[in-house]
Amino acid sequence: MAVDPDETGQLVRDAAGGDEIAWRGLVDRFSSLVWSVARAHRLGNADAADVFQTTWLRLAEHITRIEQPERVGAWLATAARRECLQCLRTAGRAVPTDDMDRLDLAPAADSPTEEAVLAAEQEREDAARAALLWRAVGRLPARCQELLRILMASPPPSYAEVAAALGLPLGSIGPTRARCLQRLRAEMGGIRNEVAPS
Amino acid sequence: MRDEPDDQLEAELRRLAADREPVPAELLQAAREAFGWRDIDAEIAELVYDSLLDSDEASLVRGPDEPRLVSFTVGGTTIDVEVTSTGPGRSLMGQIAPPGPAVVEIRHQADTVSVTADELGRFRSGPLPPGPASLRLRPPAGAGGPAVVTDWISL
Repeated sequence: MAVDPDETGQLVRDAAGGDEIAWRGLVDRFSSLVWSVARAHRLGNADAADVFQTTWLRLAEHITRIEQPERVGAWLATAARRECLQCLRTAGRAVPTDDMDRLDLAPAADSPTEEAVLAAEQEREDAARAALLWRAVGRLPARCQELLRILMASPPPSYAEVAAALGLPLGSIGPTRARCLQRLRAEMGGIRNEVAPS
Repeated sequence: MRDEPDDQLEAELRRLAADREPVPAELLQAAREAFGWRDIDAEIAELVYDSLLDSDEASLVRGPDEPRLVSFTVGGTTIDVEVTSTGPGRSLMGQIAPPGPAVVEIRHQADTVSVTADELGRFRSGPLPPGPASLRLRPPAGAGGPAVVTDWISL
């Protein structure tokens, strides 16, 4: 479900008035986006945590002065991106993660009942599909990995938020997304062929 | 504008990310608690310069081992801070302008450390843990005027 900008604007105005429930609403709505920005910049866990916390602390301090409350998602994405760039330039802090390449298949269940066997089989299929997808993402060019990681935020970010998160022009998001998803399918096909050559 | 197979694939990626890289629970909690750090009576000194974000050639020449310089400003007050990495910790050396004594509270993680700025507006801290930090300046007792808090930065 996409986010309603009017509701977002109201949450910002209510939080600015001191309403803590509204603040929690903003956290629920945008924490995944802020986290995705840190992930897309390939920060290690500690740095990603710092970026995340600093971004929210900064919003809390500025909450009464957000000029376009309905666009607070883009404000957060921009703030998080700046923190990421700063973090990557701090000596000794940039420890790239290879999370995108990591393959961790879910352990197979060993329950004896028929239902459990079927469920386990479905689970294995799902896990295999998930592993394939994740691995294919890891093979994409960096720009595609970054874009897709932002698009993976939940709820789905607006293109304006994606553009702010990556410092890209708004008009480039749609076409790049289409190209990257197409490329992702090709990589998935490639991996399938490697696993089971015809 | 968006066609369906792409939307489906994107939704699948979204579920995968939620499963494999969810926002850690303790960070969600920290984001909720960030609201409590607001200082509604204080003026906010905004970050106006950060040598790490200044991508001109001079900053590239300076190299990664040079101290980081940040500046905050509000009204007529400026706070310049030099951040030095001391092993895993970060030390601050600051200058308030116009110069004058003040109590400088360094707010970081769950803790607050107070240091004193001297008559010339200079202050320094011992090693601090890396992570989000913000300064809060209190004018000396009797001097009046609102407190000033700086933007949060990641040390």
